[in-house]
Amino acid sequence: MNQIWIIARLEIRRAFFSRRALWVYLLALFPAALFLGRAASVHYDRREYAAKPATPAAILDRLPAGTTDKDALAAAGPPIRDRQWRRGEVEHRSLHYFDGYNRVWLQFENGALKTTRRLPLHSFEQDTRIYAGVFQYFYLRLAIFFGCLGIFLNLFRGEMIDKSLHYWFLAPVRRETLVLGKYCAGLIAAAVIFGGGALLSFAALLSYQTSADLETYLQTDALAHGLWYLLAAVLGCAGYGSVFLAAGLVLRNPIIPALVMLLWESINGFLPELLQKLSVLHYLQSLCPVPAPLDPSAPPLARMILSPAAPASAWTALPGLLAVTALVLYLATRAARRLEINYGGE
Amino acid sequence: MSDDLIRFDRVSKFYGDVLGVNKVDLRIPPGITSLVGPNGSGKTTLMNLMAGLIHPGSGTVSVRGISPFAPEQLMRILGYATQYDAAPRGLTGFDFVLSGLLLHGFPRPDAVRRATHAIETVALTSAARRKIAAYSKGMRQRIRLAQAIAHDPAVLVLDEPLNGLDPVVRAETIALFRDYAARGRHVILSSHVLQEVDVFSDQVILIANGMVVAEGAIRSVREEIHEHPSQYLLRCAEPARAAALLFTHAGILEARIDPGGAGLLVITRQREAFALAVQRLAVDGLAIDGLEPLDENVDALYEYLIGGGK
Repeated sequence: MNQIWIIARLEIRRAFFSRRALWVYLLALFPAALFLGRAASVHYDRREYAAKPATPAAILDRLPAGTTDKDALAAAGPPIRDRQWRRGEVEHRSLHYFDGYNRVWLQFENGALKTTRRLPLHSFEQDTRIYAGVFQYFYLRLAIFFGCLGIFLNLFRGEMIDKSLHYWFLAPVRRETLVLGKYCAGLIAAAVIFGGGALLSFAALLSYQTSADLETYLQTDALAHGLWYLLAAVLGCAGYGSVFLAAGLVLRNPIIPALVMLLWESINGFLPELLQKLSVLHYLQSLCPVPAPLDPSAPPLARMILSPAAPASAWTALPGLLAVTALVLYLATRAARRLEINYGGE
Repeated sequence: MSDDLIRFDRVSKFYGDVLGVNKVDLRIPPGITSLVGPNGSGKTTLMNLMAGLIHPGSGTVSVRGISPFAPEQLMRILGYATQYDAAPRGLTGFDFVLSGLLLHGFPRPDAVRRATHAIETVALTSAARRKIAAYSKGMRQRIRLAQAIAHDPAVLVLDEPLNGLDPVVRAETIALFRDYAARGRHVILSSHVLQEVDVFSDQVILIANGMVVAEGAIRSVREEIHEHPSQYLLRCAEPARAAALLFTHAGILEARIDPGGAGLLVITRQREAFALAVQRLAVDGLAIDGLEPLDENVDALYEYLIGGGK
């Protein structure tokens, strides 16, 4: 254990501050930046709409389909925005109102009310679903995936490129210990970067909610959701990390394992049940507290890739993922025992 | 198992289709052993096999009874200074040596003491707190040597250890090797500077094209080379008289008076007969200042066994 810790301590600096680490940080911080941007946008909207006249919802709700635009204007008063345009033979008109909570668009065709579209100025429920989508479709599938590729593949392959791996091989350390020490270093770095990124983005999500929504959420699910997202991110690092560490031991070109793994994870939902269990994403999706939305109008290929595998329960996902990680690490230690150093000398 | 030899038993190693070493059988006793051969001959391959950095395709290697497949045991008795920088990025020279000792499991105070001593030994104390990235080639060479010796190993393997060292440090390093050898340890090194190898090696291993061409003490290797007659310089005041007398006594192939006035240059295939004849010259009253073999050195062995291109 002592040797594992010494190796991890020596390696951790490299894992955090390697030349290739910048884009890892960018990937980790992207969702936080996204939700901070959303926070700024909501803040701006709130300020803008606070200054605009509110039309009572009861008036807008009373306008049936077929109402003329003139009658609507007479009933609801002047809109916030009035847009008119022609497409083919149809004259379109959109009257934009605000009822104090929702933004409402009355859509007219040839002067008759066709549809009423209502969007809350901001919806906490919708935001949590968007967060779930960003977390599962971007953060787990891409950011943590490629981040771990950068961190863990570098642990062995990077040292071979730098011609410094023999420093470790010339220490009185079992290769298994070396693999575990390096893995721990990578895992600590990845967990801090991506776990921190997950918490930061979650905090950014909460930062712009109304006090009522926020209070309710904090009293109910907020802590549990935050912890599950954190756990999913950390376990994602553990799972993908083990795979890319092993890949770095046996393959020269990082593109190949990345593409194979990405394909494997993408088609996981269509694999037989037994093979689904050999996927990191299979377990991670089960840990996410809010199901990710899947737009029914999305292209079939995108739906195929994004549709989740049959979920495992959260409590079977945890040991399942750890078991997959342990299996991959075991294979990595076997590969490390056979690993040779040949920098192209004699 | 008490075994103080480094053993290679029918060891072959190929890098894909490229030969590293082929069917090498070696028994290396303690002392200073130099691996000599042209670039690409297999010197580094042999050293890497000893250290377990590469594994034999066939055959077995053991270092004082320990298999290179057990690095956790082997590296406690072996220190290897490779040609390449090994330091993790950003370390100072001191931290580099210290971290290696901590990996050995030395308690920190002991590790600090050993690191300090090793760095002193290679005369790098003043630069110990500087980052290795800022070191010159010679300093890097020395810090690698410091790391290799810091845990006081029984087997020291050094790839071109004298490259880039200034004359003073070079002499101190050679003294260090001698000290190690005198304590019954192995010092295995490769060097291109054959004159230096001559001076400090107890034995040499000549390698060419992945094969061991000759091994042993320089003199005994020379004695096995029958196709090349021996060359001597007989230091005496009367070289012409000595030449005349020697031709009557011994199977001399050629005798020339040294143009520099050092004495008589003699080429003979019959070393023992020649030695007896020289003794008789002395008995007959010829003043002899000394007899110096001119081709009992690594340079000559290299030339005879491997040829040019060193």
